Amino acid sequence: MSSPSPQPKKSAKQSSSESSESLYESRRKLYVRAVTGLFANWRWALVWITQIVFYGLPWLTWNDRQAVLFHLTERKFYIFGWVFWPQDVLFLALLLIISAYALFFFTAIAGRLWCGYACPQTVYTEIFMWFEQKIEGDHGKQQKLDKMPMNGEKLLKRTTKYFVWGLFSLWTGFTFVAYFSPLQELLAAAPGFTFGPWEAFWILFYAGFTYLFAGVMREQVCKYMCPYARFQAVMFDPDTLVVTYDEGRGEPRGSRRKGVDPSTVGKGDCIDCSICVQVCPTGIDIRQGLQYECIGCGACIDACDQVMDKMQYPRGLIRYSTDNAVKKGWGRKEILGHVFRPRTLIYGFILAAMCVGFVLLLANREPLRVDVIRDRSSLGREIEGGMIENVYNLHVINMSEASRTFRIDVVGIPGARIGSAQSVEVGPAATHSLTTQVLVPYDQGQPGANTIAFQITAEDDSGLTITEETTFLIPK
Amino acid sequence: MLKWIQVLWPSFLVAAMAEAVFFTVIDPQQLYLFGQPVDYGELATYSIGFLGFWLVCAASSLCTIFLQRSASELNRRN
Ligand code: SF4
Ligand code: SF4
Repeated sequence: MSSPSPQPKKSAKQSSSESSESLYESRRKLYVRAVTGLFANWRWALVWITQIVFYGLPWLTWNDRQAVLFHLTERKFYIFGWVFWPQDVLFLALLLIISAYALFFFTAIAGRLWCGYACPQTVYTEIFMWFEQKIEGDHGKQQKLDKMPMNGEKLLKRTTKYFVWGLFSLWTGFTFVAYFSPLQELLAAAPGFTFGPWEAFWILFYAGFTYLFAGVMREQVCKYMCPYARFQAVMFDPDTLVVTYDEGRGEPRGSRRKGVDPSTVGKGDCIDCSICVQVCPTGIDIRQGLQYECIGCGACIDACDQVMDKMQYPRGLIRYSTDNAVKKGWGRKEILGHVFRPRTLIYGFILAAMCVGFVLLLANREPLRVDVIRDRSSLGREIEGGMIENVYNLHVINMSEASRTFRIDVVGIPGARIGSAQSVEVGPAATHSLTTQVLVPYDQGQPGANTIAFQITAEDDSGLTITEETTFLIPK
Repeated sequence: MLKWIQVLWPSFLVAAMAEAVFFTVIDPQQLYLFGQPVDYGELATYSIGFLGFWLVCAASSLCTIFLQRSASELNRRN
């Protein structure tokens, strides 16, 4: 901030109270006016839902363990009844692809729904602004407080705000770490802050970034740092629903007394009160058309509708509409009729297919996995009784949460049998490695490599069986 | 400040991805450091891994920024 850049004087002057720390370019600090209405309700509903899920999940238990835990030390992901192993990376990949397609799909239909309602950046900014308003008052009072010289009241309000934000951030960081490290252990360490060094590091790291992004940087994260914000426009088309100002109806804008019929004063419906600008969390004027800064939160719609109500004009001067609808004067019916168009149908079809595939894969996922490796240090050798012996290392993974015994059989060469360890018990969600011999009568198979297969079957469930192929060497 | 963010932020995103892919495929217990098995404890290994990725990615971003300076910027300095 104190780098010897060519314009330090100018920015120093500005940065008194008007602009806060300029992280990217000199930034006008926004004093966002609070808003109520339909879209604000939706946003708050989503704040509640996402945060109840986020803060609540680590507290649930299932099968006497934390219900949702990405246990890094054990390298297992517990999600309710499922236990995922690194070998299940396919599911993770599928989930990411599904999320990406869902994003394409919803963006094509109604623009930045994700940004406006569900993105953590929006949600935490909303929560931080709520605290700010409760402590410092509305946007006007906040501005006044900023201009005020430091005094007792300002000091008190400021420290309270930073303190509350800090506590909330710490709680968020703690919750985040509880997804990766068992909550009960963290709780035990919490009173004296006796966390392990890395747990402490990550709690503070996550808390710090929550505070920075939601308390300090806010819309700058969307404007400059978010990758999605940069490419979302390519998913738009002329039938995408976006927040739109009805220029034809609103212009020419101008003030007038309440209840005046705009046509009698030669004006449009926009009374130029600038409330839509004051409520915008990114500080833009939607009346200049759709801009990439617009996160589609709908705050300006709510605000403008209230103004229209007061003026006794019809609502919807700012509303969700599409490019085509504005150009061609479509009504609601035609807009909705164009929601289903090739682009959304293709996205929707792929999305549905992926989801079905995911569910089917999950439903058919065998809670058993076996790796077979032939012991390379020993070639096939003859042993007493006219048998040839090969040695294998078996790695049996029991993915279910009950201890299980598995029977081991071998097929592929007539007369082949297991020399030792014909069954193995594997604990709940555990792996077991064992060495086993396969014996084949001398007069069977061909010299060289033969294909054989291990069959591993659960004793309590003969449907749960896995066949793993390997080779059996017979000396020439 | 802008420079710092330009270096640290994209590298953070890429490091997070690299970390996820790397440790999905590789079990930290299979890692060796100077011929010794890595035995820091898993959380430490993951964390050091992440910070390491971040550092490498940041170094790359730093080079980009360094090489991106225009002729006029370079000339002015001398
Ligand atoms: S622009 Fe990015 S950070 Fe901002 S709300 Fe959208 S997704 Fe979230
Ligand atoms: S222009 Fe309206 S919808 Fe867009 S970000 Fe601002 S308030 Fe939200």
